[in-house]
Amino acid sequence: MNYDTVVIGAGLAGLTAALRLTEQGQRVLVVARGVGATHLSPATLDVLGYVGNTRVESPAQSVASLVASTPDHPYGHVSEAQRGAALAWFVTRAATALGYMGSVEENLLLPTALGVPKPAAFAPRTMAGGDLRAGGRFVFVGFKGFKDFHPTLIAGNVARAGLAAPIAARALELEPPASGRGDLSGRVLAGRFDTEQLGDWLVSALEGRVDPDERIGVPAVLGLRSGDAAWQTLEQRLERTVFEIPTLPPSIPGIRLFNALTSALRAGGARVVLGVRAAGARVEDGRIEAVAVTNATGTVSHPTRSVVLASGGFASGGIELDSFGVTRETVFDLPLAGVPDTDHVHFEPGYFDSQPLARAGVPTDDLLRPVGGGGRPVYPNLHAAGATLGGAVPWKEKSGTGISVITGYAAAEAILRPAPVPMSESAR
Amino acid sequence: MATQNTSMSSLEADVLVIGGGSTGAGVARDAALRGFSTILVERRDLTDGTTGRFHGLLHSGGRYAVKDPSAARECIAENRILRVTAADCVEDTGGMFVSTPWDDPEYGDLFLDGCRATGVPAEEISVAEALHREPRVNPDIRRAFLVPDAALDPWKLVWGCVRSAEEHGARILPYHNVLDLEVDGDRVVGAHVRSEQSGEEFRIRARVVINAAGAWAGQIAKLAGCTVNVRAGMGLMIAMNHRLVHMCVNRCKRPSDGDILLPLRTACVIGTTDVFVPDPDQTEIRQADIDLLLDEGEKLVPGFRQARALHAWAGVRPLFEDKAEVADTRDVTRSHALLDHSSREGIAGFLTITGGKTTTFRLMAEAAVDAACQQLGGPRACRTAEVPLAGSENHAMYRIGHRLAVREPVPQAEEIICECELVTRGRLEETIRQRDTTSLDDIRRLLRLGMGPCQGGFCIYRATGILHEGGHVDSAAANQTLLEFLDERWKGLHPILHGDQLRQARLDDWIFQGILDVEHLPG
Repeated sequence: MNYDTVVIGAGLAGLTAALRLTEQGQRVLVVARGVGATHLSPATLDVLGYVGNTRVESPAQSVASLVASTPDHPYGHVSEAQRGAALAWFVTRAATALGYMGSVEENLLLPTALGVPKPAAFAPRTMAGGDLRAGGRFVFVGFKGFKDFHPTLIAGNVARAGLAAPIAARALELEPPASGRGDLSGRVLAGRFDTEQLGDWLVSALEGRVDPDERIGVPAVLGLRSGDAAWQTLEQRLERTVFEIPTLPPSIPGIRLFNALTSALRAGGARVVLGVRAAGARVEDGRIEAVAVTNATGTVSHPTRSVVLASGGFASGGIELDSFGVTRETVFDLPLAGVPDTDHVHFEPGYFDSQPLARAGVPTDDLLRPVGGGGRPVYPNLHAAGATLGGAVPWKEKSGTGISVITGYAAAEAILRPAPVPMSESAR
Repeated sequence: MATQNTSMSSLEADVLVIGGGSTGAGVARDAALRGFSTILVERRDLTDGTTGRFHGLLHSGGRYAVKDPSAARECIAENRILRVTAADCVEDTGGMFVSTPWDDPEYGDLFLDGCRATGVPAEEISVAEALHREPRVNPDIRRAFLVPDAALDPWKLVWGCVRSAEEHGARILPYHNVLDLEVDGDRVVGAHVRSEQSGEEFRIRARVVINAAGAWAGQIAKLAGCTVNVRAGMGLMIAMNHRLVHMCVNRCKRPSDGDILLPLRTACVIGTTDVFVPDPDQTEIRQADIDLLLDEGEKLVPGFRQARALHAWAGVRPLFEDKAEVADTRDVTRSHALLDHSSREGIAGFLTITGGKTTTFRLMAEAAVDAACQQLGGPRACRTAEVPLAGSENHAMYRIGHRLAVREPVPQAEEIICECELVTRGRLEETIRQRDTTSLDDIRRLLRLGMGPCQGGFCIYRATGILHEGGHVDSAAANQTLLEFLDERWKGLHPILHGDQLRQARLDDWIFQGILDVEHLPG
């Protein structure tokens, strides 16, 4: 079958690009080695949380100055208008099931599973109630037997977070009805919210123990199969603000996001194939004519007009470093930027030091096409998105999901409406 | 050197042992078993010096059979004893010496002669048989020999000694730094120590002080005005994910760099290098040494460079030299040295035991306590060759799969906090309580928490939460120990970070910085 676009990678960037293209009428194939970083991600839309050690209050303003000072940042290849359009489209059209709340004008501050106020522009409605900016009273509720959530430590740190508005925080640990499993994972708990009405137990267990003005923080395990229905029911019945706090992978909100996006893709007629590996391209006249995809039985060549590479960075195996200190992009062997100019990469001795390779990735032009020497596109019909791109340290900046959504959308737009003049040249 | 100061609080003992590695722990146990009141002080955590950083080989003696016969004889004798008395710390992997294409096959004849002369059981087997036993080993090996090498868990060994010593009345004081030795005339009468945890300073009065500070023994001896020339020979090791070999595989040649690969629990360890360092506390890992070990590993096990390296670390061997400068540390004998400072410098009540190796720690302890007996009123019989260590009473050797076997019948009975090393919540909580420690790194040494492939990515958040919930630390101290663990872990990760382990490290970056945001924890 001939595709309009083959998307490599099923993380947030790949799924965003694929869904935008599908929605606009393209015939799309998504191939990936497995699920992507959605399953690790808290599913907040982190556009920009930190510049250096300074917390960002307005992502819109700070991204503008970041792009001005760091033009190689992935956001530097996307116009301000398109950045806004990408987020708006994602929140209102693509991931509506999660009910994103927030704004690119100001960051929410949501407690992490260590009780650190973490900035995010948008959050699923199940989490947005945890916004700490206005202060107030909080109860953090853990479930006995669930090792991935520690409410007393969260409460201890939230109470000392040093925000302007005063915060009171306390912890409660509740023991869920016995299940015969002493080792609960987030997925098991989410399944029990889906099937055993663990919500009924939680409502009765909290009865009379939470004041009307206290907000209730729980681990992000409130059901999976029916999205956030369990959370909605809980809020209504408790008549309190209830919010989820994401914790160690696998991330239940992240899986909800993955499910929402892949359902929309399949409903729109796209094909999503996991468990396969993109293994290069057939190139004619300098253009990619087909993508080779290896599955358990052999290699299939999928003819296509365009390709989006969203195979991720080092965490996903999209980029690798070998034992000789040599770095490589693993699908097309594309040129990389941000790699130290030495014969062997050496990391710095302190964990929090600025590390080499942190910004390593595929450099692109303003149509997000990977470029080689002289800044020319390697292939005119290959675009890159997400953690494949260099120039950012998303886990420090708190910009990972923002970069994925914005560049995934922008890569799709570049395929749909290749601009006659690249944006930033006209803007500069 | 200090004279007596009466204003400080003090403890008293027959024997004060300085150093909490295998030698010191062995001395403390031996002395306690002989009925002496005993105190051991260690400046950091037990095993933190050399013992916890060695490769983990319980020598058969084969390695020394050609060039250091006396060391070989000691090794095989101690090997036989420890298999019984420290059974729980030993995994009977067996050992194999192989001649790779880079080694002279005729060295095998010297090797067999040396083993025969020193009593080390060695048997040549066919290359086909060797490859059947070790399918990953280089198929181009030309000769192979079996010896009774084994894997030794250094943490279990020291803790077994310590628990056994405590059962016989000894006091074990980790995180107690010796500030000075007290000398009264021509006699060492005790030490002035400081608790690194409480800051409290006090005196320990002892009839005999035994300096078992290993590579740091020279620094301790100097406090009494004595001279001990012990040099630090730094050795690098790399832990690889999975057991690439079943047995301790050695190159059959004169001992050199990167010629041992041995299975240790769920990983395997390649070692080692040997470089003099002026300060045993300064052990910088060089890229050239990493590459050397990876290249040597490739000779033993083709594909080694594509395997997943988990962690790198350096340990310092105490190399005793009494006379002239020695150019190559491998030419210094691996036999131990017992120094009686009364005959050397006229200072009584003070012994130094250094050199040697972990395999012969028990013998070193025996020699030291025998000498101490002479100053404590006459000989008392040593019992450590017969009495099993705490935990080894049933003489059952450690077996890989033990932890899994315990969990498997009831896999869902309890939370597993560290999936890599199968550490349950119960064991973690019990260890925190027993050890009375707030350091995740101390707990790591006891439980192997965070030592598996994810290097603490999942368990350290959990362990921090549990430490805090139990009321052992407030949230500020919990944050502190979490951050310290991450920084300490990175020291062993960054020198070997590549391939799948870099991928894992990046996932851990996402967990700690992206999801939990540890960088902005309140202090």
